[in-house]
Amino acid sequence: MKIIYLTIAAGVLVLTAWNLWTEKDWRKQATAAMVAVPLLLRVLLIK
Amino acid sequence: MQKHHISAVIISILMLAACVVAGVTFLEHRKVEPIVRGPGVTEIVKLSKWYPGLEGTAADTDVYIFKGEAPGGSMLVLGGTHPNEPSGFLSAVLLIENATMASGTLYVIPRANNSGFSHNDPQEGAPTGYHFTLSDGSTRFFRYGSRATNPIHQWPDPDVYVHAASGQTLSGNETRNLNRGYPGRTDGTLTEKACYGITQMILAEKIGLSVDLHEASPEYPVINAIVAHERAMPVASQVVLGLEFSDITIGLEPSPKNLRGLTHRELGDATDTLAVLMETANPSQGRLRGRTDEALALEGKDLYYIKAQQLGRLYVPFDEKGHSIEERVGRHLSALIEFAFAMSSEYPDQPIEINGIPAYDELQQAGLGAYLRPLQ
Ligand SMILES: [Zn+2]
Repeated sequence: MKIIYLTIAAGVLVLTAWNLWTEKDWRKQATAAMVAVPLLLRVLLIK
Repeated sequence: MQKHHISAVIISILMLAACVVAGVTFLEHRKVEPIVRGPGVTEIVKLSKWYPGLEGTAADTDVYIFKGEAPGGSMLVLGGTHPNEPSGFLSAVLLIENATMASGTLYVIPRANNSGFSHNDPQEGAPTGYHFTLSDGSTRFFRYGSRATNPIHQWPDPDVYVHAASGQTLSGNETRNLNRGYPGRTDGTLTEKACYGITQMILAEKIGLSVDLHEASPEYPVINAIVAHERAMPVASQVVLGLEFSDITIGLEPSPKNLRGLTHRELGDATDTLAVLMETANPSQGRLRGRTDEALALEGKDLYYIKAQQLGRLYVPFDEKGHSIEERVGRHLSALIEFAFAMSSEYPDQPIEINGIPAYDELQQAGLGAYLRPLQ
């Protein structure tokens, strides 16, 4: 179960990073970056 | 490179920097503060001795054993079932660093939910930990943990937690609450495995009395109280009277038959141990508290709780003196002494005699730091 949830988190992280890269408005890019922080910490099993 | 790609790179660098800063803080929380082995400790073993399935997991935890000079009964003290309740953990630490056994055997697990000490609860603003100044001027630091197992070690939570033995349903996050998982099972969650290890230990060592140390918020009805399994009632009533003679007022509540998964119910049902749980008053885990910092955890002074007391909303007296950690640990330790005494008088062929623990008044006067040993 844990591995499925980690895969989902990693998937959402990739999509968020893609959104950050393609988004033209810097404010929306910043929002994507804020969303990425907890996802990255969870994927790395830190928090 | 397009303009928005430049901003993407800059924002990503800031994001990674935030991850590093937060990540280092979170990883720091996994450091385990040493507990100094006191004169009475005869052996330190891992809980996995009784259930090897815990070996190498975050739930495996140290068990300190004090074998008395003379044979006698046995007693288990669980500190840190809830790592956000400092008095339970610190009472266990003071036992380990000071207690000696004249007769009987004492088992102490200071970090019953070991994983819960590796993080703290989000959005609670809880302090990272707290410090004590020792008699020699040095300081000791201990972490303020979370009520529950770290989700890094047990994830995800179900929407509804079903207690395996009874089918009782609770909110999903209770899946990581050690004190809802007893008697535990081998094919369950990490938390249930820890419960199973503790139950197996009690069975294998034929432990006569098990005391689970807790704290609760001042607005919680079961506070400054002992909750006892029905078989433990005679001994627990003696303790209440004994404490009364020392001017320590404590309530006695029967363990509800239909509240499942808790130590005072399941350990008493699944084993022959007399199971009890004790609560002291800790405003730093309450809902009405103001600023939540190290001082609140240690001194237990809070303006909003004084106000709540004036409005008649609390179950303990609350004035500007607050409820200091010395008072809370003093209550637990005095009760443990009384429990040993009550067990010895109830079962005279199996005496339990604990020495070396600071008395309630000594602890209030000298402060808790005076009874911690300096790190080498
Ligand atoms: Zn508790």
